[in-house]
Parts: sequence; structure tokens; C-alpha cells
Amino acid sequence: MPAPPPNRAKHTHRTSRLVNIGIPYLWLGLFFLLPFAIVLQISLAEPALAQPPYTALWQWVDEGLLRIEINLRNFMMVAEDDLYLSALLNSLQVAFICTLLCLLLGYPMAYAIATAPERWRIILLMLIVLPFWTSFLIRVYAWIGILKSKGLLNDLLIWLGLIDTPLAILHTQTAIYIGVVYSYLPFMILPLYANLSRLDMSLLEAAADLGCRPMRAFLRVTLPLSMAGILAGSMLVFIPVVGEFVIPDLLGGPESLMVGKLLWTEFFSNKDWPLASALAILLLALLVVPFVMMQRLQQRIEGGRP
Amino acid sequence: MTTLAERRSLEPWQDPKAVPYLRIERVTKKFDDIYAVDDVSLDIFQGEFFSLLGSSGCGKSTLLRMLAGLEYPSSGRIYIDGVDVTDVPAYSRPVNMMFQSYALFPHMSVEQNVEFGLKQDRLSRRERTERVAEMLELLKITELRKRRPDQLSGGQRQRVALARSLAKHPKLLLLDEPLGALDKRLRENTQFELVNLQERLGITFVTVTHDQEEAMTMSTRIAVMDAGQIMQVDTPTAIYEFPTCRLVAEFIGSINLFEGKVVATEGNAVLVETRVGRPMRMHSFHPMVLGTPVTVAVRPEKMRLCADFRDDGVNQLKGRVEDIAYLGDVSIYRIRVGDGALVEMTLTNVQPRTEQALTWEQDVAIEWSPSSGVVLTE
Repeated sequence: MPAPPPNRAKHTHRTSRLVNIGIPYLWLGLFFLLPFAIVLQISLAEPALAQPPYTALWQWVDEGLLRIEINLRNFMMVAEDDLYLSALLNSLQVAFICTLLCLLLGYPMAYAIATAPERWRIILLMLIVLPFWTSFLIRVYAWIGILKSKGLLNDLLIWLGLIDTPLAILHTQTAIYIGVVYSYLPFMILPLYANLSRLDMSLLEAAADLGCRPMRAFLRVTLPLSMAGILAGSMLVFIPVVGEFVIPDLLGGPESLMVGKLLWTEFFSNKDWPLASALAILLLALLVVPFVMMQRLQQRIEGGRP
Repeated sequence: MTTLAERRSLEPWQDPKAVPYLRIERVTKKFDDIYAVDDVSLDIFQGEFFSLLGSSGCGKSTLLRMLAGLEYPSSGRIYIDGVDVTDVPAYSRPVNMMFQSYALFPHMSVEQNVEFGLKQDRLSRRERTERVAEMLELLKITELRKRRPDQLSGGQRQRVALARSLAKHPKLLLLDEPLGALDKRLRENTQFELVNLQERLGITFVTVTHDQEEAMTMSTRIAVMDAGQIMQVDTPTAIYEFPTCRLVAEFIGSINLFEGKVVATEGNAVLVETRVGRPMRMHSFHPMVLGTPVTVAVRPEKMRLCADFRDDGVNQLKGRVEDIAYLGDVSIYRIRVGDGALVEMTLTNVQPRTEQALTWEQDVAIEWSPSSGVVLTE
């Protein structure tokens, strides 16, 4: 048994631990919890023609008398009005389908990069990251030029003789799918790559040695071992896509109402901050559920593994 | 002597009519421009415990991987039980391999790992359960069956890997450094266990190792490899006592080498003139031409103290003790003889150390018999 460390060392150890744990908590408190509290507060207020455009949640009426008004009407309205519900459902649907598409496209790409020769890997990874060097907004705008009825895609298809009349893609749900998958694909590929590049290739050799054909080896070894990467990538795509605003606004049509767009309208056009905040809080609550479920699943997959 | 000869004549590799179970025919493997395995031919027989021995990078692992089907030869053929399997992929070969890293599936329990290969064979559930139980029993790991690989010690993992590779009842088992990751004590115990297991199951084992002691203890035969080629294939005894080249002689154990040339031949003996002492008289299995440059190789334990040094004595050398390494059971003495040459001699410590005769800076005379060494031409 090693001798217990002297007290001073113990003390510094504790201090450094406190600092190490404290900093991220401070960060989360300042930049996540505090804004969240503000939004929560606004969601419980009433809209008002004032600056800021909502009523105060509490006020001192008299010496020693504090009046707190909690207004739940915003939440009730969001829950009762079909508009909000359908926007939420549509957002979830778009996010789900896009996550699936990103996974189907991104997994083979990540796998190819992870198994490529060393000298190719860095180049291929660069190609994945390269689009980030151009502004997100500009890249989405560029898709308008590609997808519009006299855009690059239609011109190409007509030139190839595949179609006679231009396809109406822009301002449809399809355009949203294209834009989202394009924009979020790297967020699927990178965690998958990180996971797959750590895969021990001798496991696949062992599977082959035990009589497993390559496809079965993939299903029984590679896929389960990359589940953590699949979950990480899926979360990185699904969660921001649910609240995505720019892509549906620029590429989507009137029928494809997503909750991000709705939030923007409530906030800036209708100046109904409390309602917008209530919507945001509900959206957050809705997203926490799958997040926690995935976290649980991930812990179970990696359970027992260091 | 006759009994030994009789016994030896029964060994399959000495019987010209014996059919090898595994035949490696002029196999070469090139990686880019480097020959990892260079024109190797080998016959390995049913029930053998065959070791490929060599330092790292000698091509032994590549050869093993070609037997498993994880690499394909650049040229040459591989036959298992008479069937040409050269182009058969790993998943269709009737062999199993135990990987050096064990390559246990981290997301499966011990039980599931062992069962993996059986599932590929589409055995019924009942058969699989029975076979898994049998394997776990065989390797005494039944109580670990629900654990995951990361909850096991190195020795336990080794057993699981062995159980997994044996589960399909292969006729030929390939083992890549099977004991490499174990500590010394565990390794020694496991050596004997492996041999017992192999004898009990009657499976042909081909193992790769860089540890000569391991190869000596376990093998029926050893192939010593260097730079992609096989230097010598023989029983452990023959490899140790009668190496055919300097490389093998030096790789296995320690050995005293005296370079010189043949100055006379008398019957089955040759006289070799070297830089130290008078010409050495050694038995030789092959006739030698006068003037051939040769190396006399004598193991340290074949050296003994010389009680009556004579000027015309055979294979006698005078020198001075320079180093003593006390290993408990034996002591190694380094004796400076003639112009700068050091000779190593191993003596068993029959008496307690304090009563030993030899000490540093002591003048001694040593000798060895003409039959206790070999004359090497390469």
C-alpha cells in the first residue's frame, strides 16, 4: 500500500478538482441556465405594448407586498392551437427524415474515410470540412440558384433529356430535405468517422476467421460497435434541425411550416415575446426527451466499457 | 540408442509415405517491393505442434495469416488436407486462428464470443449451448461466461480467445504469439496446458512465436525463420544440438563460435584451425574439403573444467575468468582465452556458491569433447 499523500497535496488536489469541475458549471450557468431562466420568465408573462414588450413577472406593490403574476395562457394557447402543434410535428418529421438520410449517406462516407489509406484520410476529411469555410447562409442561398425552375439542376436534367418541363423543387418540402441534408451531413460524418477510425480491424479478421462473411461481419461487429457514433451524429443532426429556421425560410414553401420559422414570426412580426418563449420552452422540453433516451441507450451500449 | 532410432522413425516427417496435413508450396508474399515471405515450402503433419520461430519482421506472422486466409500469397500454393485453399477466403477455410491481440468482441459476453463462430455454422440452439458449455468447461472459464472482455484479466482473455478458436472444432488451429501478452509465470504454466490441450484434442497446431524457450517447450518441430526464409526445420533437440547455420545456432540459446578453416580430415572428424589455441578436433556429419572456411560452434554447457591440461590435449584452452553471472541453478563464466576471444561456460552449481572453486581473475583450463559441438559451413 502506498503511503497516504500529505495533507497539503490533498488540499491542492481538492482545489484543482473544484476549479476543474467549477469552470464548466460556471459556463453552463452563465450561458445556458441564465438565458433559459430569462426565457422561462418571459413565457410566463403577458404581452404588453412596452419596452420590453411583456409584463413583469413580479412587482413590489407596497412595502413588504410582492405580487407575482404567472400567466399560463401562452402554454395553453400553444397546446390548443393546431398551427403550433402541426408546426412542431412537421419539424420533428423533417428532423427525423433528415437524420435518417444523413445517416444513410454519412455512414458509408465515414466508413470509407476511416478505412482509406493514411495519406488520403486527411484530404478526405478536409473535403468534408471545407464547406464550413463559406458562410452557411451563402451556401443555402446557393441552393436557390441550383433548385429554382430555371436553375442549374433543372437545366442539367433538361439538357440530359431526362425531363421536358422543369421540376418544381424550390419552395417545397423536398428542397428543405435537400438543404438540411447538405448542411448537416458533416455533423453526421465527423463523429462517425471518429468512432469508426478507432475500430480494431482485427475484430473483423476474427469474425471472418470464425466463418462470417463481410456483410454479416459488418452487421454483427462493425455496426454494434459504431452505435455510439451513430447516436452522437444523430443527436448532432436531429436536435438543431428541429429548430432550424434559415433553411425552411429560404428553401421551404408555405405548406412546410417549421417551428423555427413560427418562433421567428411570433417574435419579430407579432411581437408576442411571451408566446414565442412558451413555444421555445415546449420545444426544448420536447427535445430533452429523445436526448435523455439516447443518452441512456449510449450508456447501456458502452456500459462496463472504460 | 536403437529405441530412440525406432521411435524417431515413426515420426511422420521422417516417413516418406506420410501425407502432410498442411502443405505450403513455394509460397511468396510481397508487400510492394519487400519480400515478407520468400519462397517458403513446408509440410506439416496431422497432430503436430509446429512452431514458426523468428525475430519480429521475419515473416512468420505473414505466413500464418496466409494460412488463415487473411492474406493471399503473391505466388505459391497452400493445401490443407489435400485441398488447394490458396484462393479460399478466410470465412470458408476449415481453420481457426487465435489472434495475438485476442481480438475478442468487446460488445459481447464471454459466452457470446465463444458462440460467435457456431452461429455462422447455423448449428441449432441446443448444439450451440452444449458446445459453448463444453469449451468453457475445457478452459475452466465457466464462471466467467457472463462477463465482458474488459472485465477479464489478460490470462482470462487468453483463455476466452482460445475457447472461441476451438469452439468450431477446427482440424488446424493457428496461434499468433499465443502467450505473448502473459507474464512469465503464467506463460510457463500455460505452455504445458496448451500442449496437453493439443494432445487431448488431437488438433494440429501451428504457432508463431519469437520466444525460443516457448518454441522449445511446446513444439514437435520448429521452423526458424529469418528475412522471409526458413533457415532450418527440425525437432527442438536437433535445432538446439545440431544447428545447420550460424544464424540458427545464435538465435537459439547462447553458443561459442570459433571461426577458422579445415586443415585436416581424419575419418568422420575434422581439424579446424582457429585464432585461439591449437586446431580443434570436431566430429562432422558431412565430408569437408580442406581449406573450407567453417565455424566451430560449442554450447556453453558443453564446456567443462579441464583437470589435466596437456600441450597436445584435444580441444583444450587456457584462459582467465573475467565475468561470473550467478543464476542460482547454474553460473555462467566468461573466460578470456588467447588473443581477446571470450568463451562462455555454464556450470551447474552442485555445491553452494560460497564453496565454489572458480573466482574472478582465476587462471583456468577448459575443454570439450569432439562430439559435443558442430562445424558450420554457413
